[in-house]
Amino acid sequence: MIMDKVYFIAKKELLSYFKSPVAYITLVLAISIFNVFFFLIIDQNREVTLSDVFHVMEFMFLFLVPIITMRLFSEEKVNGTMEFLMTAPVTNTAIVMGKYLGVLVFFSLLICLTLIYFAIIEFFGSPDRMTIASGYFGVWLEGAFFIAVGMMASSWTRNQIVAAMTSYVILFLLYFMINFTKYFSGPAETVIQYMSTLVHLEHFIVGVITPGDVVYYLSGIFICLLLTRISIENRLFQ
Amino acid sequence: MIITNNISKHFGSFQALSGVSFEIKQGEIVGFLGKNGAGKTTLMRILTSFLPASSGTVLIDGVDVAQDSLITRQKIGYLPETPPLYLNMTVKDYLKFAAEIKGIPAKKRRRQFDNAMAECQLEEVVNKTIATLSKGYKQRVGIAQAIIHEPKLLILDEPTSGLDPIQNLQIRNLIKNLKDQRTVIISTHILSEIEHVAQRVLMIKSGEIIIDEALDSLMRSHSIDNGSGQRRQMSLEEIFIQQHSENSDDSMSSHINSSLVNDHG
Repeated sequence: MIMDKVYFIAKKELLSYFKSPVAYITLVLAISIFNVFFFLIIDQNREVTLSDVFHVMEFMFLFLVPIITMRLFSEEKVNGTMEFLMTAPVTNTAIVMGKYLGVLVFFSLLICLTLIYFAIIEFFGSPDRMTIASGYFGVWLEGAFFIAVGMMASSWTRNQIVAAMTSYVILFLLYFMINFTKYFSGPAETVIQYMSTLVHLEHFIVGVITPGDVVYYLSGIFICLLLTRISIENRLFQ
Repeated sequence: MIITNNISKHFGSFQALSGVSFEIKQGEIVGFLGKNGAGKTTLMRILTSFLPASSGTVLIDGVDVAQDSLITRQKIGYLPETPPLYLNMTVKDYLKFAAEIKGIPAKKRRRQFDNAMAECQLEEVVNKTIATLSKGYKQRVGIAQAIIHEPKLLILDEPTSGLDPIQNLQIRNLIKNLKDQRTVIISTHILSEIEHVAQRVLMIKSGEIIIDEALDSLMRSHSIDNGSGQRRQMSLEEIFIQQHSENSDDSMSSHINSSLVNDHG
């Protein structure tokens, strides 16, 4: 029964993306930028690998994900539909999961559109398929984590711009914090290294999938979804 | 149907509700009356389990809304003060989503969708995007989502607020037709609405219930001197003003009297 509700909310969420220009603008913008970088990278490196493309994708998701997540709860609060959802016979967990899955499917669609790059290098060379698969999995996991962060930020405010800005602050911290390790030593340095998204994705991009990296992303997603549920339960928007 | 026991709600230092207790039986039509900010919406949000009470209990059919809210939510149809509409969806898609999320079994979904459409007379706009509808139609869509799962209890917060007289009449007639089957709670500060549809009045002032009485008996028990030595029954509006006067009843009565004398020339 709860999975039914999750499915209905996810479906509604996904369809609502395509009923506004946001989805099309995001898709066109992202794919256009990826295309430019793909051809620049291939032209310069002349290698049958997508490693640098994955780095570009990771960096671009820092900017794109908050745009697609900022409306998730903020818009519901402004339109009054949060009251509709939260007085319907549906659990807060189902609301959070449904919304998350809806965006995740949209994001996965965006990732799928980049599979053309794999097809191109497969056509012209003999790439290491497992490394590319591992890289795609890492980029997808990282995007899934970014989405959870963005959704959490959206649950904290009624204002979509504030939600996006909050997401940017958190994601930039996670992305750039590896640069601050030189100022720390001992356990603090280890914690900062573990928290950095760059370190973990790097392993996937070179074809190494470790349980520690997968746990990092899954636990990050879980914590953000949990905090989102707590946020809507406590009616932080009241 | 509903038993509330000593409900209080505070937001920080602001006391929104204080010691609210009442009982509503199955099939009753009850009007919540009060000024803006009196606590009507807060009380409705507690009944629907959208907000938790700071203290006290609410039982709907014997089930505590704070303990088993999923069970009580299934029995409630709720129209908040701002109709909760996804503006970029069509009426059809929105009501379909409402039917799904309210747990209507797939076999019954089509029938209940058609019933809600018919009751709210939405057939003409079924494929229109909600954002393009008039305010009256938006309100009807809001009511349709509230009744689509055939709830035993209908809670309507300011259902005619901001509507023109014709739309007002249409929504009032719609509510009248609905009430035969359900317990209905209507919150409003438009008093004529209550006079037309409610059987009982709960008047709320500063978070406390100051009147809990059947509408007929309330009207019978309040009379006023019309300025020529004769007494006549007060209207609900006059009772409301009298009860909400900051000054004594005497001064309010004299105010009402002077208004009446002016009215009668």
